[in-house]
Amino acid sequence: MNSATALTVDQPAARVRGARRRGWGAFTLLSPALALVTFACLIPMLIFLRFSFLTFSGGKLYDVYSLGAYRTFLTSAYYHQVLLDTLWIGALVTVLTLVIGYPLAYAMWLAKPLPRGLLGVIVFMPLLVSEVVRTYGFQVLLSDDGPVNWLIEHGTGSSDPVPLLFNRTGVVIALVHVTLPLVVFPIYSSLRRVEPSLREAAEDLGARWSTFLRRVVIPLSLPGVVAGAEITATVALGSFVTPSLLGGGKVTILPVLIYNDTNAINWPAAAVSGLLLMIIAVLIVLAFQRLSRTSEVA
Amino acid sequence: MTRARAGFWPTGRRSLLVVFCALAAAFILSPLLIIILNSFNSAAYSPFPPPGLSLHWYRNLLSGTGDFGPAALYTLALACLSTLVSVTVGTLASHVLQRRRFRGSELVRAGLLMPIVLPKILLGVGLFVFFSQAHIYGSLWSLALTHALISLPFVVAIVSAALVGADPSLEEASRDLGAGGLRTFWLVTFPQIRTAMITSALFAFIVSADQLESTILLTRPGRTTLPVAMYNYVLQYQDPTIAALSSLVIAVSAVLVILAGILLRRGDTVSVLGRAERGATR
Repeated sequence: MNSATALTVDQPAARVRGARRRGWGAFTLLSPALALVTFACLIPMLIFLRFSFLTFSGGKLYDVYSLGAYRTFLTSAYYHQVLLDTLWIGALVTVLTLVIGYPLAYAMWLAKPLPRGLLGVIVFMPLLVSEVVRTYGFQVLLSDDGPVNWLIEHGTGSSDPVPLLFNRTGVVIALVHVTLPLVVFPIYSSLRRVEPSLREAAEDLGARWSTFLRRVVIPLSLPGVVAGAEITATVALGSFVTPSLLGGGKVTILPVLIYNDTNAINWPAAAVSGLLLMIIAVLIVLAFQRLSRTSEVA
Repeated sequence: MTRARAGFWPTGRRSLLVVFCALAAAFILSPLLIIILNSFNSAAYSPFPPPGLSLHWYRNLLSGTGDFGPAALYTLALACLSTLVSVTVGTLASHVLQRRRFRGSELVRAGLLMPIVLPKILLGVGLFVFFSQAHIYGSLWSLALTHALISLPFVVAIVSAALVGADPSLEEASRDLGAGGLRTFWLVTFPQIRTAMITSALFAFIVSADQLESTILLTRPGRTTLPVAMYNYVLQYQDPTIAALSSLVIAVSAVLVILAGILLRRGDTVSVLGRAERGATR
């Protein structure tokens, strides 16, 4: 606010007053948003931090500070396995979603308005249906006597159902479904930056379609790919509904572990896993921001 | 797209792409379609193909199984309240951040966009402890503010993107002609960012109505939201009552999409979302 006043010293007095009033106005108008973030985000996170130093022993929570929860996390093989599973599922889902999502966005970009609109609506639709509903759909779809196994049995003639539910396969398939629209739309919107004139130029210079694709289209769409991958990775790492309903207790990733620990009043353990999850999320965002800067330069 | 010279456009790969899109569309739609099919299934489990058709599960739903009616009403009230809060608060903040650069404004913007990357389950656990200690656990307002916080980044991203396209000199002209801040907003700014505000309100509404991770620990038994009630039901029972309910939810969503499409006919939604996307990741 000071700089705003300093910049306008040679203006008429009324202007200076206006600038000062607007400076305070800025704070007044921002304060509801800041209050909301403080109340609903900052304070809970600080409480979280405090709880990570409390002591949990023999099924009871004690108001005594210790590093017990951190020690357990560092030494327990179970926690290490959960962490590895979380990272592995997050990476797998991100790669699979990009592999399916990029051609879809590319098709939307190539298509005429009508099929493009249709494809857009189809891709967008799952976003409007609650994740619980979609997960239930996958429970039916992937069960031993569900349609997918019906197709497999009638296609291959084998009578042994392929176990798709209550294991990692089902969780990954459903998470790809959840994150697909989050990847298609950013890629599509960055593909729209490829102007028709660029294509004409490539054509006039005698480039083949594959060259045009490799040298122009893909580099220009990289920011969309990076943005989509960032959203997918954070969503997959933080997902709870899908792994808890489709994993059937056999697929434990960090968010599920946090929920279970909270219900067991082991708040220090939940807080430590939570802080770790937050650090991973922040690291991912930072890494992708760096990637997005380099991808925009390219 | 203009017609390309023969030889530049690979036709063989194009049909490959069409097949790929058809398969992807089948993948995207299949969980939704199987739910609708299963809701008319006559068996109490979910075999394929269904042994027979019946309306039993819809009747079951209407007779009050699972107490979904009150949960749906509660979810609706919560979504309306939180949308109102987040669109108001978010538009105010976006306007300030977009029009007045000040020291730390980028930091404030980052702070407002932060909840988007925060795993929701963390928010749920943190707020569970906070609300229990502050003795506001389970109240409508505590939930509405939580949902407003979660949809705030979407509102800030979408409205900020629209404000980039809105001409600030028009607002200055209005102020110079003596109009107050509120009048200027209503007569000059609002008409330019209306599409973005409606889009962000729809987003906020959907985000709130779909919240599970952040909310599951924050509701009292008997006064839950629809997603939480459905989650608990799916955990305990496997019968197609939930398919009947889900089909109704899908139908309501479809109606909402059509309504939104009519409302936004003039604005290019895809470009609004695209700009917001770039704004959010910048």
